Formats: sequence, C-alpha cells, structure tokens
Amino acid sequence: MPENFFILFKQELWLVAIIFFLLIIKLKTKQPAVTTLLNRINVLLLLNLISGFFFNEEGRLFGKMFVTNHLYVFEKNILNLAALLISLQSTKWLENHKHIIEFYVLLLSSLLGMFLMISAANLLMLYVGLELSTIPLAAAANFDLHKKISGEGAMKLIISSAFSSTILLLGISFLYGCTGTLDFSVINNLLQQQPLHIAAFLLFFVGLLFKVSAVPFHLWTADVYEGSPVAITSFLSVASKAAAMFAILNVLNKMVQPLFITWHTVLIWVALATIIIGNLFAIRQQNLKRLLAFSSVSQVGFMLLAASANSAVSNASIIYFILIYVFSNLAVFGVISLVSAALQKETITEYQSFYTNNKFLSWCLCIGFFSLAGVPPTAGFFGKLFLLMSAAQGITFVILTIAALNMVISMYYYLRVVKTVFAKNENIGMEKIAIPVYNKIALLICVIGILLTGVLSGAYSYIISLQ
Amino acid sequence: MKAVDIIFYCIATFVLTTGILAVTTRKIFRSAIWLLFCLMGVAALYFWMNANFIAAIQIAVYVGGIVVLIIFSIFLTQQSGNQMPKPNSLRIIVASVASLIGFGLLLQLYNKQVFQTTNKNFDIDIATLGKQLLSTDANGYALPFEVISMLLLAAMVGCIVIAMKASPTPPKEGLKKEEIL
Repeated sequence: MPENFFILFKQELWLVAIIFFLLIIKLKTKQPAVTTLLNRINVLLLLNLISGFFFNEEGRLFGKMFVTNHLYVFEKNILNLAALLISLQSTKWLENHKHIIEFYVLLLSSLLGMFLMISAANLLMLYVGLELSTIPLAAAANFDLHKKISGEGAMKLIISSAFSSTILLLGISFLYGCTGTLDFSVINNLLQQQPLHIAAFLLFFVGLLFKVSAVPFHLWTADVYEGSPVAITSFLSVASKAAAMFAILNVLNKMVQPLFITWHTVLIWVALATIIIGNLFAIRQQNLKRLLAFSSVSQVGFMLLAASANSAVSNASIIYFILIYVFSNLAVFGVISLVSAALQKETITEYQSFYTNNKFLSWCLCIGFFSLAGVPPTAGFFGKLFLLMSAAQGITFVILTIAALNMVISMYYYLRVVKTVFAKNENIGMEKIAIPVYNKIALLICVIGILLTGVLSGAYSYIISLQ
Repeated sequence: MKAVDIIFYCIATFVLTTGILAVTTRKIFRSAIWLLFCLMGVAALYFWMNANFIAAIQIAVYVGGIVVLIIFSIFLTQQSGNQMPKPNSLRIIVASVASLIGFGLLLQLYNKQVFQTTNKNFDIDIATLGKQLLSTDANGYALPFEVISMLLLAAMVGCIVIAMKASPTPPKEGLKKEEIL
C-alpha cells in the first residue's frame, strides 16, 4: 500500500465512512429527531464536497485498478455538488418519509459506484462501478412505497439496466477474448480495425449508451423518471448521466483510440438521432418530469456529438457543459420537488399563473429553463456554444446545422413552460408555497452557478488546464 | 476428429438444447429445471477446459444457489403447474430471425478473426487464486472484491425497505410492543 493511499482514495473513503456512520445510527435504538438527522447528513455531505478541493494528488492504487488525477477529482467534485444540492432540495420530501437513512445509504452507495467508474482503469472495475451505481438507484426509485407507478418505474429501471449490463458484459468478454487483458492501456495497444474487435467494442459501447439513455436505448427513461420520487429523478438525470458520460469519455480516450474511425461515425449518428428524437418527444409531454426526461435525452445528444471530435478541447467542453447542466437541471428540479412535495402537482397545466404567488420559485424555474434552452447570458448558451464549436472540427456543416436547428426546437418546449408559469390568469394560480431554508440555499446556489459559470471564463480554462 | 473435440461438441449440444428448452417450454417450473441442466452443462465445459475451481464455483453458486432461489420464488409467486399463455406467432418469428442473424453474424466474425494460440496453462492453484483475491498489488483483485461487498450491502438495504410492509401502528408503539415481548 503506497504512503499516500489515504489522499488518493479519500473521496471514496469519505463516502464509505458516511455510509457506515448512517448505518450505525440506524442500528441504535434511540433515533435522533428527523431535522437533526437531516442537518447532520447535510453537514457531512458538505464536508465531503469540501474535502475534494484540498490535498489532491495524482496516482494509481490497487495495481492499476484505480487511477486518480486532478481531472477525475474535479469530476467527482461535480458529482458531490450534485448530491449535496439534491439532498438539500429533498429535505421537505424526506421529512415525511420513514426511511431517511436508507435513502441516503442507497444514494451514497450509488455515488461511490460512480466514483469508482470514473477512476476505473480496468474493465472489471468499470463494470462493478457501473452496477454499484445503478442497482441502489433502482431500489431508491421505489421509495414512494405506496405509489404503484413508483414500483413500476423501479422495475423498468432494474430490468433495462440488467439487459444493458448483459450486452456490456458480452462486449467485455469479447474484448477480453480478443486481447487477453482487462486493462485499458493494454487493450488500447492491442485493438485493431478487425471485425471482431469492432463488434466487441460496439456491444460494450451499447451498454454504456444505455446508461446515458441515448437513442435508440432511451425507452426506459421517461417512465422511470415519471415514477420515481423527484429526488431520485433529479439524481438519475444529473449525477447518473454525468457519471456515465465521464466514463464514456474515459473509455473513448484511454481504451479504443485505434477504433477511432468506427466510433466517430457511430457517435455522430447516435448523437443526431438522440437530439432529434429527444426533442420531438419532449414537445408533446404534459408531465414536467417526462418533459425533463426527454430534454435530458436531447442534451446527452449534444454531448455525444462533441465527444465524436476526440480532442482535449471537446472533452473539456463536455465536462464544462455537464457542470452547467448540473446547475440548470437542479434549478428546475429544485422547484419541481418543492411543488411536488407540497401540493403533489407535476403537470405543466397545473403550473398556470405560478408566478402570481410564487415569484422567487418562478424566476428560478425560468432561469433554469433558459439555461437548458441555451439562451444568453445564462451559462447554458456558452455550454452549447463550446460543445458545437468543438464538435465542428470533425463533422460536416449539414450535421452541425441540424444540431443547431434542434436547439431552436428545444426552445419551443422549454419556453412553453416559462410562458405557462408567467401567463396571467386571475382565476387559477397555485397557492403560495413556503420555501424552507435548505431549498432556498440550494436554489440560490444553482441560480448563481448558472449566471456565473457562463460569464466568468475561469471555469472553462480551469478544466482545460486540468487535462 | 479427436476425442476432445467430440466431448466438446457433446457438451455444447447439451447446453444449447437445454437452453432452448428453457426459453421455449410453457411451464415455468420446467423452464427453471432446464436452466439448471443448462448451467450444469456450462460447468461441464469448465471441467473440460481444466478450470476446476471455476467449475466448482459454477455448480455451487449457480446450480446450488441461484436456481434454488429461482425455484423458491416460483413456488411463492406463480402457479407453477399452469401453462403460460402462448406467445403470438409474430413474436416467435421475429425472435427466431433475430437470433439466427445474431448467430450468423458471430459465425462470420469468428471466421474472419485470426486467434493467437498460446501454450500457457491455467494457473489452477487455489492458493494463488485466494491470494489474488485479497492482494492489493499489480495482479490483485482486492478492490473489486470489496466494492462488490458494498454493492451487496446496498442491495440488501434496498430490498429490506421495499419488502418491509408499512405497519399501521406508528413506529413508537411498535417498539414498545417488542420490548414487552
């Protein structure tokens, strides 16, 4: 064991420590009061986030199974931030829930899996991390225990993820058969443009595309998002997507460079299909959670389009976009979770004249949707701009134009919600919703994040400098 | 054709036949039993390859554990004697065409690929395997091993929450009753 074990492995160790701390609390006969418990957990998560910013080193552990560097630490910090924000936003829902500790154990286990997935330098670790990140979430998707739709969502998630894991495993076993190793760098040296190698890679890649719900592997997304509690939906759409995207970038850069021609083409077509179909289906959604499901599908399409460029700039712009995506999506989900916990309302029409009584929440929702749509001066505009600019290196102008046109289409369904929220109607209008302190903090962080990460160019150049 | 090849084809036919029967039979209990034979066939393949340890694990975990679990859950949830509804013919056709295409594709891929042969034998010493599982060095698998234990922990917590029925009495009273008992 190297001397700096505790520094290299600290983020994972922190999570494991919190998980066991929670389990021990659960086992005690005297349970703390709900608010105390939530306070404690949020402080722990905050400490967890802060710890990621100090004493970072690069190195590898456990042979070559686990690799860490400044970029990976930054990616994990993004995920930590997302987990903290989601935890703050869901306090209101959790206060009435019996299984708070179990919820956090599942959430943090899933986060641990994502960390290991990002740091994996070995197919075995990647697979184990992927499973650890999905299976607890499937259980957590069922946390609205009395709702049938929640159980249905969880069932769909577990079955589709089992299906995708099978395809992924088939791909891994072919890759192992072709190269005789599971190590990323060795596979990278041995792969060639041969039919079996390409087929193995494609099978493997399909498994990963399932996790980011790229078209044609997106069918589970909307149902699972609709059924799950809002906290889990936001975790699925933000953290889970981000982690799978980081893993895809990692794999493409470190493992399959010899097959660049293949995956360049595959990515472009998948990305185009994802953007177009995600957008078209989003237009006709009435439920906000379903709308956000398809919007996240189309956002992933933009990221995949940039990933096809295979350059340091495109990687940086994807990570930058994910950071913005975390802020914007969580701003929207923050409002939705509050409304859902207070009034159980989730469809767009129910948000009519939302502005009349809820000014702050409406502005948060509006800024979040503007950022998702890519309206300047919000950060979403710069994120999309950098994505398309980096993607432009390797694709024709026709494809670029189609992607840009789709941004216009997406504006329609995002702004439709904004219009509903702000349209004045004297008779209807949602009653005033009290905003707890935690939710307010989380929403403010998101809004400030959306406004600042776009204007300050520091974030983007920081990510570039990490590579 | 050498005896080794003949044995291989026998085992392969056995695995394939039982596998097909497992997915085509219309009684769910029979399906589980065919799956049991299929997994035993796979174990036989491992024995054929001289990987005794993996074969033993295959029998202990899959045949002994998972199939028994499946059979238990069939008994608890399904009416095991009843026949399942017949799948419609379009589905059968599409499924068989898809699997035939998959088979043909794989066959083509294997024919095009030049595999490197090696003279290395399996390192079948169980002591080595055990050391590797717990080693943190270059060829060690301690990390995935531990991560899987976290996965099992999380899965168990999730299962318990889902399976636990919400009690009609508030939790505090429930505790008191237990204390009295």
